[in-house]
This record gives sequence, structure tokens and C-alpha cells, in this order.
Amino acid sequence: MSVQKVKLRDVRVIMMAVNFIAVLFASVFIAVTTEWICSRYEARDFLDTLHALPVQPATNVALVVVLYVLLVGIFIVQEKYSEKQERDGGNQTGKIYLTLVLEFIVSAAIVWVLNFNYNGIFFLVFTGVIYHVKGDKGKYLVICLAMSSFPLTDSKLLSINMKLYSINDYINYYDTSAQQYLLGAYNLLTSLNIVLFMIYCILMIQQQRGAIDEVNLLYEEIRKTNADLENANNQLQEYAKITERMGETRERNRLAREIHDTLGHTLTGISVGIDACIATAEIAPGETKAHLERISDVARNGLLDIRRSVNELKPDALERLSLESAITKMITDMKSITDMQIFFDCRIRKLKFDEDEESAIYRVIQESLTNAMRHGRASRVRIVMERQDDMIVLTINDNGIGCSEIKNGFGTKHIMERIGMLNGTVEFQSDNGFSVIARIPIRWGEEYD
Amino acid sequence: MNRKKKIGLSVIMFCLAMLTAAVCIWQSNRVTVLEVGIFAGSNWDVANANSYVIIDKAIEKFEASHKNVEVHYYSGIRKESYSEWFSRQTLRGKEPDVFMVLGEDFNQFAEIGIMKDLEPLMLSDPDFDKTCYYSTALQAGKYGGRQYALPYETVPTLMFVNKSLLNREGLFVPDNDWTWDDLYRICQKVTKDKDGDGLLDQFGTYNYGWREAAYSNGARLFDENGSESYFNDERVVEAVRFTKQITDLNRRQKVTRDDFDAGNVAFMPLPFTEYRIYKTYPYKIKKYTKFQWDCITLPAGAQGGNTSDINTLLMGISNHTEHEQLAWEFLKLLTYDEEIQMDLFRYSQGVSVLKQVTQSKETEEILQADMEKNEKFIDNNLVSDVIENGVVTPKFPRYADALTMADNEINRMIEDDDNIDNSMRILQRQIGKYLRR
Repeated sequence: MSVQKVKLRDVRVIMMAVNFIAVLFASVFIAVTTEWICSRYEARDFLDTLHALPVQPATNVALVVVLYVLLVGIFIVQEKYSEKQERDGGNQTGKIYLTLVLEFIVSAAIVWVLNFNYNGIFFLVFTGVIYHVKGDKGKYLVICLAMSSFPLTDSKLLSINMKLYSINDYINYYDTSAQQYLLGAYNLLTSLNIVLFMIYCILMIQQQRGAIDEVNLLYEEIRKTNADLENANNQLQEYAKITERMGETRERNRLAREIHDTLGHTLTGISVGIDACIATAEIAPGETKAHLERISDVARNGLLDIRRSVNELKPDALERLSLESAITKMITDMKSITDMQIFFDCRIRKLKFDEDEESAIYRVIQESLTNAMRHGRASRVRIVMERQDDMIVLTINDNGIGCSEIKNGFGTKHIMERIGMLNGTVEFQSDNGFSVIARIPIRWGEEYD
Repeated sequence: MNRKKKIGLSVIMFCLAMLTAAVCIWQSNRVTVLEVGIFAGSNWDVANANSYVIIDKAIEKFEASHKNVEVHYYSGIRKESYSEWFSRQTLRGKEPDVFMVLGEDFNQFAEIGIMKDLEPLMLSDPDFDKTCYYSTALQAGKYGGRQYALPYETVPTLMFVNKSLLNREGLFVPDNDWTWDDLYRICQKVTKDKDGDGLLDQFGTYNYGWREAAYSNGARLFDENGSESYFNDERVVEAVRFTKQITDLNRRQKVTRDDFDAGNVAFMPLPFTEYRIYKTYPYKIKKYTKFQWDCITLPAGAQGGNTSDINTLLMGISNHTEHEQLAWEFLKLLTYDEEIQMDLFRYSQGVSVLKQVTQSKETEEILQADMEKNEKFIDNNLVSDVIENGVVTPKFPRYADALTMADNEINRMIEDDDNIDNSMRILQRQIGKYLRR
């Protein structure tokens, strides 16, 4: 709770105390005066000065106290609901309104018991209404209704049509100087209550002024933030442009890689196949013809691949087939155009990779086979795919000549790039033929058996 | 869960049923106490040895017919302190449910809301017929046009006649339809200086004032609400003029009570109660023993009848009674029950407010029973007429003050003013101004 709210509550509590003293004064004074008059045997003469008389002065005191305790109880409950609403933001409005209505009823009952001799207690209800009633039109209506209860319960106004006892009649019983003190004390209480009500209203206005300042402050902050945001937006646009340019460059690289991968692979196959055909053309024309037909197939397939690559920039067989089938097909294709023996040993039963992983594995195998054929002149290649801890390990080992110095040609560079994109590592070994060992980390959530 | 609820519910229902039963039993066995406020002695300032006989009888009768009801009253409160006692109880909010109210208290008590408006109770009671009462007696319990009290006992004013004096002067006791002229004629005759010392020592009237004259001349002094007065009305002016004539006979000599008690005055207005008590045993021997006397009606003015004002003891119900119906029934028993009302003639000195009771043969017998053989008590039907035609003084808060104002001024006129008509006009203006204030 803010300091203002604590102040507002304190004023209400002080008003409660003042009102309690006032209603107690009114009721006790009448009861005590009654006894005093009776003890002096002046009851009959006193009756002549009255316009009406209370039903039971002593009972009235008890009744007023009980009703007041009830009022304080309702006040406490109201504060509880109010605090709860502010703390939890829960909707307690209905309950708070109910307590306001109850407060009004109990106050009216007290005013009734006192025969409208003291109606300042309504100010206490007003404070609650002003504080708790929300909404624009409704608020002013309710406040007007509540406020009207004060002038409407003026004892002088009501006594025109009703028989009401007046505390003044009891005060008039005493001699003049005592009357002055009593009236003074009573008026002091009444005025004090009104002054407190005014203080409450002023505090309330101050609090609302504070709220407006706060809103202005917030608005200023929002304005600043807005400017910052615009700035950031501009920067972002700049950045996006740069990113776009970078994207273009990357795409160009990818395209180059793609062309090298598919077209290079196919052309290598064709050139090796034609070399074979040249060798066999004269010895066995029939076989050569069949060979050429196969080369023709490969060339056509390569053509299709290029078209597809150009159109969609998508990998070839991988697009239609699962990774394993695609690899198998690639091996079959490769075997059919060369004498190379290729063994594929997949030790992972279920292969479930993301597209980029599949593509990388496929390309790494494809590239390695091409290298083995083109540079290593290998007759046997062995491909092993297995799982080691949380890594997929892909080993492609051939019995070719290897190379003493691993050249950073397109092939190996591509392999490293692709695996690097998956946060994996690649190792090249040339001591026994040539080996490519790629390690790809298993992504979280993927399942490999 | 459901079962538990059912069991809980049945336990609650059972408890409620037990509670209701307990309350019913307690309620049916509870004794309701009805408080009654009455004073000891007579309202008419005459000795009364049988103060509580009637109320005790009424309580016995009431308790017999109402189970679990107790009627309680404080005994020993004298009339002089009753008003104060009642006021104290009222201020504390402990006023009795049913109570007697003195004539001088009635206006203020009705005004400040101590007394219950009886009209609804009267209307809703099929056994109640207000025409059984003397209309004048009922009128006495009205304030601002509403019935706030019922009459319990009423007392008309009669004219005391010194028979011995009249006989001595060779005059007869006037008839009950006598007039102002008769009164003036007799007064003129009896007013004299017997011992020749130059001072009058035998007089016509004692205590006969302008109000008695006005009432018997059909005059009203105020309207019911106290907003108008009629002091310049011809009937009032005539009455004042007549009173001045009568008073002038005494040649500015003041007639005293001693003159009256010594048997030297012919006439004096006397309440019925005093007539009743001093005419019969045992008090017969206490007062007015030196001469023969009797009572007749008051003399009629030219525009009025043989009437007088009547004084009525009223009973009301507290505006805050918790036992409205019981209070009403007890009030009805005291004021409306013929048996109880008949007892007024046996144990009190006033007159029953019920026409049928006052006019009955039984009443006549009761009244005659204590008289000496050769004397006859005043005819109860005549008393009944006097009451029915009696004058009820209006009820408004400033009645007493206004009347005192008028009384002082008119008495001054009677003593030393020749221009009565003019003075009455001035008085009318003054009183009118006071009432409008």
C-alpha cells in the first residue's frame, strides 16, 4: 500500500473514533440526563419541554454500541477485501459494494436509534463510497445518492413531519453555562467529523493528482521507448539488407557445391565409363554397347539431377527415397559403371535424421566415392555408419593410393563444410588407402537405435 | 460426501425442530406481565378508602380469562405524585402498558407521542361500540381529532344549594330547568347585611365564575385545535356581563370559603363527587352539617341549557407497549365492561362513562342506598343528561396558558370595567395573537 492509502485509511479510522464518541455522547448524555432529571423529581416539568421522547434511553446506549461494533466489523472486512483486491488483483468489487451497502444500513440504523440527532456518521459511509465505487457515471450517481442522505436526515427538516426527540431539549435542561459547554462539545465533535471528511477528500484529490503525474511519467517513458524502438527498427532493416546479401553469397556457394556434387559425380562416372568402353570397344563390342547404354542412363540421370538442382536446389535420389535407399541406389549406380567393389555397412537400424543431416551424410558418401574413384583409383570401398555414444560416426575407407598430402580441393573442403554446419568433425587418414571419418553429434530429441 | 451432507442436514433439521418446539413450549408457558399505572385515592380530591377495589376486581377477572397473563400495578402512588412518577417511568422508557392519565397531562402526553392512537384498535374490535360512551366523555380523550384515551370515570359539575338559607328567605329550591334570571333574582334577594354592621354577611354565590356562565350559555371559548378563540362571541360576552351583574351584587366584597361553610352563601358550583361523598355516610357528618343542602343543575343562559363542564378521568395505552392487544383488552375491561363500570358507583364517587350503566335502575338503587330515608339522591337520568350535554374543554398544547390569560383579564373586567364589549374585543385579539404565535 502506498503512503497516501495508509493516510486515507488512518483518516477513516480517526473518523470512526470521532463518530463513536459522538454517537456515544448523544446516547449516553440523554440516558444520564434522564436519570438526573428523575432523581431530582423534575420529570413532569421536563416532559412539558419535550417534543418527543426516546423509547428507552438506556437500551439506546447498548443498541448504539452494538450497532457501532457491527459497523467497525464491516469496516474491517471491507479493508480486508480492498487489500486483497489490490494485492491479488482479484475481483472483490461485488463484496466491497456489499460491505458499503451494509455500512450504510447500519449507519442508518444508528441514526434512526438516535432519532436523527446525529447524522454525521453518514460522512463515514461517504468516505468508503468515494474510495471504493468505480466507474464514471455510476460513481457520481452513487456518491450523489449517498451524499443526499446527509441533508435528508437533518433532524430539523424531518421534525416538521415526524415526532423526533431532540438532544437540544435535553441540553436545555441544564443551566445556561452548562448548556454552552455541552453544545460546544457536541458541535465540536460534529465539526471535527466534517473537517476530517474534508481532509479525507483533499487526500483523495491529492492521490488522484499523484496518479495523473504517474500516468504522465509513464507516457514519457513510453514515448522514449518508442523512439528507441524506431531506431532499433532502422538498424534491423540495415542488418536485414546485409543478411540478405550474405544469404545471396551463401546461396551462390551452395549452388556451386551442388553443381560440383551432382554434375561432377555424373561426369566422373561417365568419363571413367567411356574410358572402359574405349578399352573394350574392339575386344567386346557387345559388352561395350551395354556399357554405353548404362553410361547413357547415368548421363540422363545426371541431366535430371541438374535440372532438379537448378529448379529446386534439392538433392537427387534423396528427394524421393529414404537416406538408406538413396545411399544404396547411389552405390548400385556407382557399381554398374565401375569395377569398384563398394560395401555399405549400416549399424544403425532406424535412420531418422533431419533433412540437412541426411543431405550432408549423402553428400559426404557421394564425395568420398567420387574421390576414391577419381583420385585413389581404388578397387574396394567400405562405408560404415555407426553410433558411438552421442555421435554418429561415418567412416569411408578405400584401398586406393591415398595421398601423401591431403589437398584442400573442392571435395574435402565441401565435406568439411557440410559436417561443420552440423557441428561435427571430419578426419582424413591416408596411411592405409584413404579414409574419411566424419563425426556428427546426435541432436537432442532424435532417436537412434 | 453426499451421505455426510445428508446426515449433517438431518442433524441441523432435527436441532431446528427441537429449538422450535422448545421456543413454542417456553412461549406458551411464559407469563406475560401487563403493567398498569394507576394512582391511589380519588381523581376528584375526595377521600376514597376503596382505592384498589375496582382495579383488583378487574385484574382478577382479566387474569381468569387470559391464561399466562399477569397484571401488575404499583400501589401507593398518590395522585399528587402520580404525574411525576409516570413522567419518570416514561422518560426512562418504562411506562406502564395501560395507565390513567390526568386531565392536565393528557394534552402534552398525546402531543409528544407517549399515548397510543386508539382509533385502529377501536375500529378492528367488533365487540366495541363507541356510542355506548357519553359522547362528551369520549370527546375528552380526543387530541387532534384522534382518540388517544378512553374515559374511565366522569364527573359533571352541579350547583350546590343551601336549602336552609333559601327556606329562611322564603324561597324554594329552583327546578332543574332554572335560568340565569332565576339565579339573579334569588341572589338579589339573599344578598344582605343581616347584623347591620354595614357589611354584607349573606351572599348569593361563591365560586360561580364567567366560565360556568359561558358553558351554560352554549358558548365555546376555543376551537378544537386551538387555532381560534371566540371571546368576542355574543354568548361569551353575555356570560361575562351576567357574571359581572352577579358579582356586583356583593358590592366589591369578597365571598370566602368560610362564608360558605358557615351557611351564608346560597349557591356554589360543586363536582358530582363531592355531592356524592358529603351527601352520604360516613362523610355526611364531616361537612356542611349546619344546614340542609342539595344539588341541582347549573342555571341556563338565554342561549344555552342547564349544562356545565365535565371532568373525565382518562386511560390510555403506551405507544410503545409490547402487548398491544392485551393492553387494549384490559383497557376495554376497565372502561367498557358494565360490571366494572357499575362498581364505580359502589366504590368510587364519579359517574360511569357508559350511558346504559349510569341510567340503570341498579345505579339508582346504589346511589339511593346510602341516603337518609327522607332525602332523595339527585336523579341519575338528570346526571346522565348533564354529562351528555356537558362541555368538554378543548385539548391543545397552549390551552392552559391561553385560559389563564383570559381568566385574569376577564376577572379584572368583572371587578372594575364598565365597557365589557370593548374589553372582550381587545382580549379576543390578544388571545388570537397568542394562539397564532
